[in-house]
Amino acid sequence: MKKHFLIAWCNLRRTKGQTVAIVLLILAASSMLNLWLMLSMDYKRNFDRYHDKLNAGHVTLALNGYNAELRDFITETLEKDKNVVQYCMDDALTANASFEYNDGEVSTEFIILEKQTALNRLVEKTEIVEDTKAASGIYLPMIYGMDNSISAGGTVDITIGDNVINYNVCGFLNSVMAGSHNCSMCMLLLTKDKYRELEEKGFAIKSTFVSVRINDKTKSEDFEAALKNKISNKYPDASSLSNSYNLVSSSRYISQMVCAGIVSAAAFLVILIALVVIISNVINYIQENMRQIGVFKAVGYRSRQIILALMLQFLSITLIAVITGIGLSYCLFPTINDMMVSQTGIPYTIKFLPVPYVITVLFICGAVAFAVWLPSRRIRKIEPIIALRQGIQTHNFKHNHIPLEKSHVPLNLALALKTTFSGKKQNITICITMLVLSLVLVFSELMVENIIADIQPFIRLIVGEMADSCININTDIEEEFLQKMDKNRDVSKCYLYHTIEVRHVGGIALSATLSDDFSNVNNKSVCFEGRFPKYDNEMAIGARYAKDKGLEIGDEITLTADGHEAKYIISGMTQVSNYLGKDCLLTRSGYERIGKLNDLSYYINTKTGTDIDKFNIAISRQFENGINMTVNIVSAVNGTAAVYVTLMKIIVIAVLVLSAVIITLVLYLLVRTLINNKKQDYGILKATGFTTRQLIFQTAASFMPSVIFSTAVGLVASSLVINPLTAVFLRGIGIVKCTFVIPVGLTVAAGVGIVLSAFGIVCLLSLKIRKIAPRVLLMGE
Amino acid sequence: MKEILLKTESLSKSFSNNGTLQHVLKNIDLKLYKGDFTVIMGASGAGKSTLLYALSGMDTPSLGKVTFGNKVISDLSPDGLAVFRRKHCGFVFQQIYLIDGMSIMDNILSTGLLVNKDKKALVQYARELLKAVDISEEAQKKFPAQLSGGEAQRVGIVRALINSPEILFADEPTGALNSKTGLDVLDTLTKFNEQGQSVVMVTHDMRSARRGNRILYLKDGMVLGECDLGRYRHKDTERHNKLSAFLTEMGW
Repeated sequence: MKKHFLIAWCNLRRTKGQTVAIVLLILAASSMLNLWLMLSMDYKRNFDRYHDKLNAGHVTLALNGYNAELRDFITETLEKDKNVVQYCMDDALTANASFEYNDGEVSTEFIILEKQTALNRLVEKTEIVEDTKAASGIYLPMIYGMDNSISAGGTVDITIGDNVINYNVCGFLNSVMAGSHNCSMCMLLLTKDKYRELEEKGFAIKSTFVSVRINDKTKSEDFEAALKNKISNKYPDASSLSNSYNLVSSSRYISQMVCAGIVSAAAFLVILIALVVIISNVINYIQENMRQIGVFKAVGYRSRQIILALMLQFLSITLIAVITGIGLSYCLFPTINDMMVSQTGIPYTIKFLPVPYVITVLFICGAVAFAVWLPSRRIRKIEPIIALRQGIQTHNFKHNHIPLEKSHVPLNLALALKTTFSGKKQNITICITMLVLSLVLVFSELMVENIIADIQPFIRLIVGEMADSCININTDIEEEFLQKMDKNRDVSKCYLYHTIEVRHVGGIALSATLSDDFSNVNNKSVCFEGRFPKYDNEMAIGARYAKDKGLEIGDEITLTADGHEAKYIISGMTQVSNYLGKDCLLTRSGYERIGKLNDLSYYINTKTGTDIDKFNIAISRQFENGINMTVNIVSAVNGTAAVYVTLMKIIVIAVLVLSAVIITLVLYLLVRTLINNKKQDYGILKATGFTTRQLIFQTAASFMPSVIFSTAVGLVASSLVINPLTAVFLRGIGIVKCTFVIPVGLTVAAGVGIVLSAFGIVCLLSLKIRKIAPRVLLMGE
Repeated sequence: MKEILLKTESLSKSFSNNGTLQHVLKNIDLKLYKGDFTVIMGASGAGKSTLLYALSGMDTPSLGKVTFGNKVISDLSPDGLAVFRRKHCGFVFQQIYLIDGMSIMDNILSTGLLVNKDKKALVQYARELLKAVDISEEAQKKFPAQLSGGEAQRVGIVRALINSPEILFADEPTGALNSKTGLDVLDTLTKFNEQGQSVVMVTHDMRSARRGNRILYLKDGMVLGECDLGRYRHKDTERHNKLSAFLTEMGW
């Protein structure tokens, strides 16, 4: 073994530059791989840990009213159900409320509990994560304390309908099932005095808050649907908010899924590049050290021993790089954790995770070992005598590419092209690197164009329909409301866009969006396949749900609401992430076949320059009763969007920096190898009168055909596949088709930028040619 | 009166070896004349090749100067020296140093096209030179590895001559060849010299050295003596004896 170490150590010392470059590549790859594994393996498990710690429910319901009969019915139902492990039922208040957050507004359904009630619950306990111990005030979910716009000890204005209530912020809470606006209900805790005050004022609806733990959490959606079905059959007027373990665990980790997806893609791309570089390096090593290998064989080393030494050489540096890379990932994790916690709203304590560590070490070391073994098998075929003659190529009848006698290209370019055509391995490495980098670049462009520069395309995809204002009215004022909207100078368009819950018979609860006429909607891409429903027996359905259930356009399904059932033909497929793909579109008359509408949400496009908040207040004042809620949609979306923009900015910058580092490292390795291989040729050419500048140009130009070709192909191919690929990453949140715009101009500019940068980098790296003096040809003196 | 092609004044060259300065060439004053076949001899380590590379602009002296015509080439930048070499010098190396990845013709044209823009005429001239050194047309399409050592070295001579240089520098041109092929190479060099080509050759082989008309003997980095053998007219025995006597006198 000592012999192997000696050979490996000798090789490492001779190839310091290449070793450093490979170490950096593996370091980047292992750090990203470990980050991805930590994010995907433990981060979501953190949700389960907190779910267990707080004994949270697998299904949570908030039903209108303190009705004792209803409560008895629920108690009886849950007691009889063998799936139920534990449940808890308490008084609560529900309200559609809003408050300012992160330069925008949070507007959602809130479930409001008295603090001590929430802390003492047997199921669905609430944890206080920051507490000023103030006697009177409000506790908000910790997600809203992340951007420092709201802080413990400060105040917050909660708007419920037309009423604005100012509360002292006593601290922040952690609730697993209702800890963010992504949970379909969001929890607020009030101190006893404030709770009584709100209850008495009647701004919020008195409700019953039910949390149920079941024995199989994977069936939480089915249980939720069945329970709600039973309740609505008995009490058709009982409206409810609800969520399930499956829905919340997915929706609270959307950012984590997106981030983990990007990090995993980047990790595997860097690993791929590192392996290509290692393979290329081993091949070059064999070529450069043919004589040394011959000497080893001549003095009695077996091929296996030489291969083992080579393996040892690469594995030792890999192991050092992987361990350092994992260390680096732990240094980066706090920053990523802060970003993730600001999205998930669940605290995460960073700790050493042995499983990702072991997987990272084994996977990368295994991949490197394979990458070394693959080309080094050639060593077995090398005869000592041939190797000692530097692998004399007596029978190597090469093809003379670009014969100077016939070629019409300038001399230096012709010589560069000769190098290009003779460097198969160099070209393959460049092509793979450039193809990968093109994909990364197009992805970054997509992020810049569709999120950072203008977030609207991303919003349209994730949120679905966007307008300026949403006004929820009672149905009895609809006619008057529409007349006033028609006459209002600030309104450019007003259309019904109301979301209500229906259930798929044999399936789960779906969020149904109703409209009188879907041709009015601003975002036509919501229905990406087929068409919007036109008739009352038609519906469009969430593509992800349809795929899970094997439903296709033209199929007929039965929906139920308010105890009535009706059949609908699927006319199209929709995608919005709000309901994780569990949604559908119905015409208003279509819904009225099964249910009655008590309230309606109208979406309003205002004219340019209209202050939406003032507009909403003005509309509310026009109706004494009948306006249930107004929402400044732009402000509400901006509140969430700002976090995505920040997240994407960080990802894009990280991806671009990483790309620049990788392209420089790969080119460094290739240029260095090329110069080493052609050192004698450069000496000869210098001796015969070529200047250093000419040789640098030749070297840089020799890389350009493969750089230009692979960049062009890579950018075109990436532009074609990036939307389907992004859809794969977003499938978990219900997006199955992306139609992000890929800016052609920016893509062309990026392509030119890559080529020019590559040329510049190779020129800089080729400056080493200056040090090659023709006197290197001096022999024997 | 012979025309001076190249001259050196106090030419010195030192190399640093583990912190110790080694003086390889010491204050050499030398003149090389047009049309001469100058041979530089000396024991191993005497500084023969170092002198050759300093004279040819392949390397820069540590001290002193090298003048070609009226131009001091020792002051030129590395790229300036490269331009000087391509215009005025040809090189034949002991290890031949043809570029493996290029065909024979491309090896020659890659040097020729640096100076000559008329490709057609250049190709024609290359063919004439190749024919003159007995390289067949078929061999011109081959790669260096497919030629014998002697053939390859003759191609090396053609490459050195393609730009019609004022001086042809040859560093042990027969050192890597067997006696038969070595003789062919020497015949080729002699033939071109007889046609007026100035040649400066480094060798430690007496058989090669007696082809020259002027023999310089280097010892410890200094020109210890020189011998005029006169024009080569196949008086081998007479030349051999004269050279032997000179070398004996020099302590060879």
